[in-house]
Amino acid sequence: MSEAPAGEVDGPATPPISPFRTALARVASVVRPVVRFIGAENLSLVIVLAIEIAVIVSQTKFFLGQQNLLNSLGQNIAVLGVLAVGESLVIIAGALDISVGSIAGIAGVAAALVVTGTGSMQLGLVAGIMAGICAGLVNGSIVAFLRVNPIIATLGTFAAFRGVAFLIAPNGYPVGVGTQPDFTWLGSGRILGGGGFVGIPIILIILIFVAIVGHVLLRYTDFGRSIYALGGNATAARLAGINLTRVRLGMYVFCGMTAGLSGVLLAARTTSGSPLNGQGMELQAITAVFLGGAATTGGKGTVVGTVLAVLILGVLSNGMNLLGVQQYWQDVATGMLLVTSVAIAQFRALRSERARTRIASRG
Amino acid sequence: MSPPASTEPPATPVPSPSLGLEIRGVSKAFPNVQALSDVSLEARSGEILAFLGENGAGKSTLLKVINGDYQPDIGTLTLDGQPLRFANPLDAHRAGIRVIYQEPEIIPGVDVAENICVGELPGRGGFVDRRLLETRVRADLDRYGFSAALPMGLMGDMLSPAQRQLVEIMRAIKSNVRVLALDEPTSSLTDDEVQRLFALVRRLRDEGVAIIYVSHRIREILQLADRVAILRDGRLIAVRPAADLTEEEIVRLMVGRDLTAMFQRRRAVTDRVVLRAEHIASNWHHDVSFYVRAGEVVGFAGLVGAGRTELAKVVFGELPRDSGSVFVDGRLVSIRRPSDAVTEGIGYAPEDRKREGLILMRSVLENASLAVLQRLSRFHFIQRRMERRLAGEYIERLRVRTPSLEQEVGKLSGGNQQKVVLARWLAAKPKVLILDEPTRGIDVGAKAEIYHLIDDLANQGLGVMFISSDLPEILGLSDRIYVMQNGRISGELPGPGATEEQVLALAMVDHLSRADPVPKSTAPEEGLAG
Ligand SMILES: Nc1ncnc2c1ncn2[C@@H]1O[C@H](COP(=O)(O)OP(=O)(O)OP(=O)(O)O)[C@@H](O)[C@H]1O
Ligand SMILES: [Mg+2]
Repeated sequence: MSEAPAGEVDGPATPPISPFRTALARVASVVRPVVRFIGAENLSLVIVLAIEIAVIVSQTKFFLGQQNLLNSLGQNIAVLGVLAVGESLVIIAGALDISVGSIAGIAGVAAALVVTGTGSMQLGLVAGIMAGICAGLVNGSIVAFLRVNPIIATLGTFAAFRGVAFLIAPNGYPVGVGTQPDFTWLGSGRILGGGGFVGIPIILIILIFVAIVGHVLLRYTDFGRSIYALGGNATAARLAGINLTRVRLGMYVFCGMTAGLSGVLLAARTTSGSPLNGQGMELQAITAVFLGGAATTGGKGTVVGTVLAVLILGVLSNGMNLLGVQQYWQDVATGMLLVTSVAIAQFRALRSERARTRIASRG
Repeated sequence: MSPPASTEPPATPVPSPSLGLEIRGVSKAFPNVQALSDVSLEARSGEILAFLGENGAGKSTLLKVINGDYQPDIGTLTLDGQPLRFANPLDAHRAGIRVIYQEPEIIPGVDVAENICVGELPGRGGFVDRRLLETRVRADLDRYGFSAALPMGLMGDMLSPAQRQLVEIMRAIKSNVRVLALDEPTSSLTDDEVQRLFALVRRLRDEGVAIIYVSHRIREILQLADRVAILRDGRLIAVRPAADLTEEEIVRLMVGRDLTAMFQRRRAVTDRVVLRAEHIASNWHHDVSFYVRAGEVVGFAGLVGAGRTELAKVVFGELPRDSGSVFVDGRLVSIRRPSDAVTEGIGYAPEDRKREGLILMRSVLENASLAVLQRLSRFHFIQRRMERRLAGEYIERLRVRTPSLEQEVGKLSGGNQQKVVLARWLAAKPKVLILDEPTRGIDVGAKAEIYHLIDDLANQGLGVMFISSDLPEILGLSDRIYVMQNGRISGELPGPGATEEQVLALAMVDHLSRADPVPKSTAPEEGLAG
């Protein structure tokens, strides 16, 4: 704390460097860049994930199998992961998009219709993503131009988009794409397989790609900075000359785009463009973003955190499946995980910031 | 130089149980910052003790320790001989200690009367007894002479910074205080209000309250305080009777060096008009016209509520304009929102840094570069090296005390936060820079640096619209002065040669016969600006 210069003079000038400390320094030099990438604020997520995996591995040997890791787990988290990356941007900007599950529904049907019509996987993919972008534009316009509260706005489109998904599906029936191997390859294909290795799922590669795009966007571009600024203090961001209308439109379009893509992936994986696809996924995506450390008030959060949270949720449900735990218990566990993690974060924030409860405590 | 408390006169016995608040050996550290180290002093009952020190010296931290917001790492507090141990501010209040912060906490959706009595509303059968509440509050306000400045029915979010401060003061003195600490209470008050506040503080002192008073206004402190404590880098440098100190001596103790002349202006006024506003009419203004030339510093003086901040915001596109036109470089421009203004080359550093200036949870770097993101980006990618260089340059020139550019802005001291907002706009180098109370809460050393920078900018051909309630700085810095009064420009004076009396006369022409004394909100909903 306070330096004592007089004492220093008598002490040994250079303490002998112990081999232990050099080893420690070497470890630290390896760990530091990793930690910097993950972000110090995400370390607790890594720890939770590690504990979770340790517990599951101690209970079942199936968890670490290639088939399980790359197939069941990898493919399951991908659809949600893509959705959650887009949702992250919106939540960090202090807003919300409840309609992403419905957008995924529209995109799945649209993609399936185009694929069955043209036989082209690429056109189907583009159609799904375009549908998502359009839906995002609708959300963004309502929020940015009509100034409707984001929760209300996307609660409205949550219902409306689901209706649209049924309207564009012929007679409201799912559009089967089982006869389109090119398209279903997006959902269940693998590359680099062979020699005992099952291969890396395409869908996982897409997730990694989307996550990198989201990460770069948030961290290295003026758009990303504007999103943090908008979420942290909208008035200050506006007075600093940021065009909030443009930022709001942009982030909803990006979110719509990822929702569209995840709808396409879901259709490809389930071999069906069903208007019911994606139901309930908006809640999982929002859960993942908050679990990943985004502040409820906006201005804080990372894509890395979100992806880690998606992993935590995925491993939890995968592990419970392997252990034969009922779905209901899985839902209970997911809910508890979210509430406890946010409560812990809140508690820590309260303690580290000065707990200024002057007014509240008097009331 | 050691505080007198540490010199032990062995002959004299320990003085009779000292009354008041005693601080012994208090230290407090934050990550990478030693905010206080081994501070010992006492605030005696019936005495006004002033704290002085540069931004980030530890003044507010010491008050937060006294108030129970922070627990000291080591050290003790005693009040009237009783040792104190606060777990939270409520404990401190019970013990009779009240700290009024730089940023008062006001409940937005509730009026002044209820804000003052928060937590102690007179009730009748579960309902608030409005009549009783109003009589009580009115009596209090009348007694201290604040009833005109603080209309009781005004809602919390409509209050000006000055009025927020007054609410907080009224809250504190209503209860039974033993120790009252004020953190820069006058930084947003007008001279008139300052004098009234002083009268109030003196009265409380004479009633036996120990007063701790933090301010950067040295003249004020010499006028008010009985003793002065000077902090530097978290250490107590000196405690002296105010009567033994001069302004120059205080500055030297605070800054550790002599300051050269505060106001040094090189005249750089050109003929080119960079900003011209004609016949601006809005909710707050009637037919206001003014212009700013390249290289010119144009002061805007007036009382709080005269409409200066609102004028800046109307020009900047933050508040709606009914009619009138704005020209930049002689060209009629359409400014519908702040981003349009920035594109046209206008910058605005707002007066309320917490609400309007800063993204508190983001880093110093991100806050400082916010207004130049576009210029720093290539294909939307921010060039990080350039960003660090640009932001770092002004952070350094303004001597922002921060452990690194990555530090959260919310963790800086008040004055250093203000400097970050300034750094942002100085780095942006617009054609016209609107500075709204830029030196509020800033220490003398940094003030001199800011004046210097303003002069530099003018020399580089910028036009500066300089809004300030600090008359000496308006007079010392401006090439030309507009005086505003009740939504109008009531006069124009040449900067050099103008006197305080002239400005005040224009600022108060028909001040007493104002038709509508209720100031309108300066914090509109987001929607208003669109
Ligand atoms: N919560 C915190 N976390 C980290 N550092 C902090 C925190 N609060 C204060 N500091 C640091 O402690 C130092 C002292 O801050 P303090 O607010 O006491 O300064 P001050 O003397 O009141 O300055 P000013 O005149 O600008 O208000 C500063 O360097 C500041 O950055
Ligand atoms: Mg302070």
